[in-house]
Amino acid sequence: MKQLSIMVDLDRCIGCKTCIVACRNHHGLVNHETAMPEGMSHYLRVESELTGTFPRLAEDYWVVMCQQCKKPPCIKACAAGAITKDAQTGIVRIDREKCTGSGACIEKCPYGVIQFNAEGRFAHKCELCHDRVVHGQEPVCVEVCLADALRFGEREILQMQAEAAGKKLLKKRSTQSILYVKRAD
Amino acid sequence: MSESKWIPTVCYQCKAECAILARVEDGVVREVKGNPRARGKMCVKGMAGITTLYSQERLKHPLKRVGERGEGKFVRIGWDEAMNIMETKLRELRKRGEGHKFTYSMFPHSTTDPKWRFVNAMGGFITTGLPHCDSAKIMAHLHTFGCFPNHHIAPMYYTVPKGGVMILSGRHPFGCLDDACVPRDILDAKERGAKLVVIDPIFRTEAAKADWWIPIRPGGDAALFLGMCNHLLTKGLHDKAFCDKWVREGDMAGLMAFIKNKTPAAMSKICDVPARDIVKLAEMCAAAPSVSVDAFKSIMYGNAMDWGHAWSIFLVITGNLDNPGGQPMPEIAPMAPVAPVPPPPNLKELGYHRTGPNRARFDHYTFFLQPTWYAAQAVREGTLKVFFASECNPALSEMGSGEWREAMTLKDRSGNYALELFVLTEIMPSETMKWADLVLPDQTNFERWELLYMPWWYNFGHTAAVCQPVVKPVGESRHANRVMIDLGKRMFPEFFAFKDDVEYYDIELSGIGMSMRKMLDGGAIWSPGTVGFRKYEDAGRFNTPSGKIELEWKMYGDIGQQWPSPELPLEFRRDADKYPFILVNFRTIFLNNTGAWSQNNAQLRDPVSGIDANPVLLNPVDAARLGIADGDMVTVASSTGSVRLPASLTERIKPGCAGIIHGFGQTMGKVASRGAWAGDNELIADAGSHLDEQDLRGGEAHVSTRVKITK
Repeated sequence: MKQLSIMVDLDRCIGCKTCIVACRNHHGLVNHETAMPEGMSHYLRVESELTGTFPRLAEDYWVVMCQQCKKPPCIKACAAGAITKDAQTGIVRIDREKCTGSGACIEKCPYGVIQFNAEGRFAHKCELCHDRVVHGQEPVCVEVCLADALRFGEREILQMQAEAAGKKLLKKRSTQSILYVKRAD
Repeated sequence: MSESKWIPTVCYQCKAECAILARVEDGVVREVKGNPRARGKMCVKGMAGITTLYSQERLKHPLKRVGERGEGKFVRIGWDEAMNIMETKLRELRKRGEGHKFTYSMFPHSTTDPKWRFVNAMGGFITTGLPHCDSAKIMAHLHTFGCFPNHHIAPMYYTVPKGGVMILSGRHPFGCLDDACVPRDILDAKERGAKLVVIDPIFRTEAAKADWWIPIRPGGDAALFLGMCNHLLTKGLHDKAFCDKWVREGDMAGLMAFIKNKTPAAMSKICDVPARDIVKLAEMCAAAPSVSVDAFKSIMYGNAMDWGHAWSIFLVITGNLDNPGGQPMPEIAPMAPVAPVPPPPNLKELGYHRTGPNRARFDHYTFFLQPTWYAAQAVREGTLKVFFASECNPALSEMGSGEWREAMTLKDRSGNYALELFVLTEIMPSETMKWADLVLPDQTNFERWELLYMPWWYNFGHTAAVCQPVVKPVGESRHANRVMIDLGKRMFPEFFAFKDDVEYYDIELSGIGMSMRKMLDGGAIWSPGTVGFRKYEDAGRFNTPSGKIELEWKMYGDIGQQWPSPELPLEFRRDADKYPFILVNFRTIFLNNTGAWSQNNAQLRDPVSGIDANPVLLNPVDAARLGIADGDMVTVASSTGSVRLPASLTERIKPGCAGIIHGFGQTMGKVASRGAWAGDNELIADAGSHLDEQDLRGGEAHVSTRVKITK
């Protein structure tokens, strides 16, 4: 199976969250009129890790979105059969028509990335901008990334590009389809 | 099928004003992104601009105060009544011969902003963020090498060669008032083999990406750079050929005499950077093909003029002027005047510095903009009677918030406010609004016309951009520029004979052979095509009175400021026992500082997509000594104010420092008022009334003020 993916370059990610807001805008996740902090869906989140003690410190930032799991636990959890892994792209998709809003997938997701729309009672998440990539465009987060830290493509090809750039795969974080890389020191 | 298109316009979530595209679908803005004709990037603040546009918190009608100032009570009025109130008061002021007691606080979007024109016609003053934030750097560069500096975007990072050194000194280009392409350009330069050096008391995103982080004592930058200059000059590592050719005769000898005792060891005591590191950085710079210094926010030190001077000297002796990877020197293409031009107030006659005990001394200076000025003092002294403000939030952005509030409510014996009229234009509720007599609903960048004509865009090859309305305005909102043009037409028809703002911009653009139509046809941006390097070689001179680089500021000889002091002003050095911490007010990419529109933006104050907390950052070593645990409520007190905040213990801050984000503390608006956060300017002294030298030598005292922390 071909697996589309995003490669996150930790040497470049600055944790600016531009991708989160651009993603929300593109997918209409926010009611701009009534929005309040802490009440908005988001397909991405930024994580970071500070290590060391003053003045010898290091910090990494990266984004976490649906990892497009190889064997998605959300598919197994969904009694309604609303979640599938697309054979052409490897993208894990939720069919809103079939979704019953049980929330079972949200509980089973090991990455905590599935969102729940209380109004429409359905689960939703990052599908690598399926609407865009089928037209040959990159996912929105990749296009708008302030630091050009994200790259879109086939997982296999992205891995080759990382290798060519002297970046090593962060295996601990890259267990599924999304790749996390950093300069090999 | 619904109509959907990408329309070029300009962002105004912060003052960088990046060129963007807005996707408008059936009359609604759905998406935004960087304009691919202009570097193609847009940051998180800009992306969240749609939330500002459509928020139900938008001010939609003119409001008039009822009750006392500070209570924040208003009634809705019509535009006619609002215009009449402004016209009546301003006419009365002029009739009394007090037109100069009118001040408009604004950020001009071009060198010929129509609001500024109104102020000149009225005979009043403008006060901008420039005196507060930029004067030191502008004047340092103008005095030394005669260029109007690119004060918002210093180096052209895309020109930094392999091995070039990029120094960020108290600067956060990964998100603060910078073109959104800058983070990418810096990271690209690093990938090409350039070195990133970050000088900052707090370890932040830039430090995390740096090749070398130097945690300096706040305000120590002048000392660090003078220490480097000493090493370079005494070891003969400076660019001798450049200095011989371009520095004014006698200045190098003067510099050698001045710099003699500024040894790395001596300077280390001031800046708390080990002498060996000062030497190492100096030698790294001497060996590099280019060095850039980006230090916009560090000019907020109490010794900003000295720092700007020291930094200018460093650029000169390392030959890093107008070279690839060094300090750019912009050329500005002049726009056409819209005749007849109202004359500006006579600063020579009225004085450059209008308030404070140092007022007379200030006339020694040759500033082209009025330097730091304090509204609170001006009200007390009776030199400010009518105050207008747009796109700023003085209740939080003026140093000495407590004094400011007191001044706004100061009354004379008859019970009338000393400040007779206070008018504010706002997009969203702001802290300042509580004290205003009139609050006029302003428009976002998605609803208004504006010609942006900014010298700092020179770096990217273009100088002008057009902000055009892409959707219908919300409610009865009117852009402040249009309001002031309308008021101008009522009061000064001779100076406002043009039809409207668009025609005004058209006349201005004719000076460069452009028009609004041509600009829009060209993607809403325009380039003068003057970008280039070492233009002084072609000109055979620098744009200084002598035509040479003037290291010694001889015009300040009579006030002892011909050479830069490595020390902070006295007021920031005394009482170190009583106030052992130095306050570091820092910025984040998520907020336009005190700007009410970003503080009230739900996406920017959301913890997932923005920031929703502003505790005081303390190093665990300091906290342990004081018995403070993470999350404890503490009192942060300076000699003039205090705030209560939770403490956040982190290794990222240098011991002896207390860090707070600049801009929080609003109580107006559902989003901005979330959390018990405080405004940092509660702690900063109102310089002219409380400080000795800062208003003469400094910018804002954001990174100098001493505080104590108690549980």
